[in-house]
Amino acid sequence: MAEAIGTDPAVRDAVQRVTGTLEFVLDHRIDGMAFGKVVRSTVPHGRLIGVQTDEALREPGVITVITGADIQQDPGIHEYYGAQRADQPVLAIGKVRYAGEPIAIVIAESQHQAERAAELVYGEYEELAYVTSEVQARQPGAPVIHEEWPDNGCGQWRLEHGDIDSGMRRADRIYSATYHSPAASHVPMEPFVGVAHWQDGKLEIWTSSQSPYAVHTGMRAMFSLPADAVRVRTLNVGGGYGSKGQMRIEPMVACAARIAGCPVRIELARDEVFYTIGKHAATVDISTGVLRDGTIIARRISINYNAGAYAVTSPGGAGQGLSRAPGPYVVPNVRVDSVATYTNTVPTGPFRGAMTSQIAFAYESESDRIARDLGIDPLEFRRRNLLRKGDLYPTGEALKDLHYDDLLDDLADAIEWRTPPGSSGPDIKRGKGLAVIIKNTLTPSRSEAYLALRRDGQIEIRCSSVEMGQGAAITLVQIAADALGVSPDRLVIGFPDTDVTPFDTTTSSSRTTSSMSAALQSAAIDLLDQLARRAAARWGVDPQGIDHRDGVVVEGAKPGRRAPWASLLVPDEAELVGHGVFHSTFGLSQMDPMKVHGPVSVHWHQGGAAAEVEVDTETGVVRVLRLHANCYAGHAVSPLRVLKQNQGCAVWGLGPAMFEELQYHDGAVSNPNLSGYLIPSIMDVPEDLTGTAIESSDAFAELHGVGEMAAPAIAPAIANAIFAATGARVTDLPLSPERVLAALDAARESEQRGSA
Amino acid sequence: MNGSEELRTVQLTVDGTERTVAVRPGETLLETLRERFRRTSVRQTCGIGVCGSCTVLLDGKVISSCIKLTELANGHTITTAEGLGGPDGQLSPVQEAFVSRAAYQCSFCIPAMTVAVHAAMADPEVRTSTERVREYLAGNLCRCGSYPQILQAVDDLVKSQASQGLEADGDR
Repeated sequence: MAEAIGTDPAVRDAVQRVTGTLEFVLDHRIDGMAFGKVVRSTVPHGRLIGVQTDEALREPGVITVITGADIQQDPGIHEYYGAQRADQPVLAIGKVRYAGEPIAIVIAESQHQAERAAELVYGEYEELAYVTSEVQARQPGAPVIHEEWPDNGCGQWRLEHGDIDSGMRRADRIYSATYHSPAASHVPMEPFVGVAHWQDGKLEIWTSSQSPYAVHTGMRAMFSLPADAVRVRTLNVGGGYGSKGQMRIEPMVACAARIAGCPVRIELARDEVFYTIGKHAATVDISTGVLRDGTIIARRISINYNAGAYAVTSPGGAGQGLSRAPGPYVVPNVRVDSVATYTNTVPTGPFRGAMTSQIAFAYESESDRIARDLGIDPLEFRRRNLLRKGDLYPTGEALKDLHYDDLLDDLADAIEWRTPPGSSGPDIKRGKGLAVIIKNTLTPSRSEAYLALRRDGQIEIRCSSVEMGQGAAITLVQIAADALGVSPDRLVIGFPDTDVTPFDTTTSSSRTTSSMSAALQSAAIDLLDQLARRAAARWGVDPQGIDHRDGVVVEGAKPGRRAPWASLLVPDEAELVGHGVFHSTFGLSQMDPMKVHGPVSVHWHQGGAAAEVEVDTETGVVRVLRLHANCYAGHAVSPLRVLKQNQGCAVWGLGPAMFEELQYHDGAVSNPNLSGYLIPSIMDVPEDLTGTAIESSDAFAELHGVGEMAAPAIAPAIANAIFAATGARVTDLPLSPERVLAALDAARESEQRGSA
Repeated sequence: MNGSEELRTVQLTVDGTERTVAVRPGETLLETLRERFRRTSVRQTCGIGVCGSCTVLLDGKVISSCIKLTELANGHTITTAEGLGGPDGQLSPVQEAFVSRAAYQCSFCIPAMTVAVHAAMADPEVRTSTERVREYLAGNLCRCGSYPQILQAVDDLVKSQASQGLEADGDR
């Protein structure tokens, strides 16, 4: 059987993807369903005195209007939720903590009626002082967002390795700087949308989610229900990038359906998507102690992630950031402090390259600043300090399977590092830059899979991994086919449905190709073993002597006796099921957050990027001429899909690097749509947009997820190219013309001071 | 207003079929196509005519159906991505080019993108150059970043158009 891994089979629904008949929850309808429209807070922080609903209730078609008080009065609802801290109310209760927070849901017979009536609902507030900056929110006297957390703390972690003070004392030079990344928005093209239906005490909810079991767990907790009383179903997801990884609108949809007594559908308008979840703004203070020859000997990093108004995954996320903060370098003396801070802004969550892009922008910008100051080539500076196989990472674990030398070589080749950039005129400067990053996957986590052999000989993959365009479905088909030694044509795969498909932590953190493949491989072993034992019993031989060839059981020693797998099903048996589990049990969440030490992840991610830019020194406008993204892939399950992920990371990274910024004025988001919040268009994509998957020569190398490896490297690679071109060091993203001009002025001033 | 809005009758040709439909005043073409005609290829992302996910052809010209009132489309011909192919489900050359280059990821924006490419390839001023088609697509956003594959598909179409054009010139 030819191996499916390493090939590029066409996805099975390519035609539907192109013609527009691919199934999304957006298209799902239930008979008799009503429509919900959310009403949101207009103030960033205030006591909620009341919500006026009378006028809306008189509108035609309106079934009911639900407020936080209604949810509080229902003894069957826990009104607060949150995977790590149950601090978020379904609808505001007593207080609003950000502009855009849901305060009511109008439920009507049509979407139009719900929308019109929603305009008549308003909150009455006693406004409170608000804070949107993570730095200001930590200062004494800052407004308190949650009374239970008077310092606005939303997670705190510390990592110490070696002796930071003596390391800094031994350094020939110490470089210190502060970097800032703004809040951003994921902008999945498909909005958050869900349909909930209660029947005989059982909740069924269809939702556009990356994590059906996160919703399942959350719904069970919210309504105190046993596992079989909640059914979560997903279809294709129209873009997630981390935004759909936890419960988002599902609490509102489920509560609305419960209180209204009919199925309810809620689809958010685009501004509401911006108000639902975003990327952490972050302020990163970084100090690096180096020897004259460019060896890094000490690094102190302090990260402050802006969590927004509710915790979501920020308490743990701050720890994930901490574990990746030292960068892919050998640093013998390290201290990292990482906190997340409540503010009166939109709640935040993982954003493709989660918690990592903010710190990679800092440490990779510093790499080039230090290298230039010491007169060392930036590529050479990195080579001197790179993490290599067996090196001790500051978490105290020796890392294996490291490929940074290959990644750097590939970046240098792709960008022709040794060839000086061309020139386009006296005011137009060209430069090249590169960056490498380290990330890791969510640990602990669990994936389960079933492989069900049917009477027709087909094998059904049942798992809860979500197809959101990354190609999870066909990837898992390829992996299962190889594990069973059959053609991919024998395998079928459907959508997650918690009544049918077993537990999976989440489709995020680039974990599916690795974690779900491990579960599938163990399910395949289980199924093959059951088949071998059945054949052995039928033939009266030892199961050890049974072999499998292309979906047929064969008696190894005495060729002759053969049995197609399906023939081993007993009469009336619909299917024979193999079960497999992948479960990691260690990780950050098992550690003392102030003393992080030991293995933090099952799986380290390695990626990089290189850029060539042209900077107009008169206007500050930057053109990205070339962009290259790479990652270590172990074995690429599909070379084409890895390329698409690398290129996708590059396009994704271009936005926050160059122009994406969620702006706040008077405490409210002032650009909550694509007119004011720009994302990369086809005109922003450089002509030369390439990618490489670095693969292992070891046949037994792990499969790696590749969905976000290069993303955090894009902004620092571009910033470094601007620095190489002009000497201007921009420390605040995005790299807008205004910031580039300001940095150019600063560079000129310091040059004049230097020569004076 | 008290909800006693009168429905207005509108005649449209949608993907080759003549339709008469009663719509709400203020109803957008996007709503009519999705909710009344179940055209799932027409999708709303921004709702303000910026992102291109709701692109359809009105008498062959690209429009954003999210900001077009259905009443104002009265008497016109609408083509959605679902109407680009042949009557027996054959894919159009544009659709075939997208499939062959795997020019999609989550695919939410892709049907509308094919509509825009279709219009570009129907324009003799545009279809001769990948660069000009690319400019034509500036208003169709893809968050997954499938642009390189989309440009490959466009390039295939431009080249195939050029070779057909040469043949046509030879005939003259």
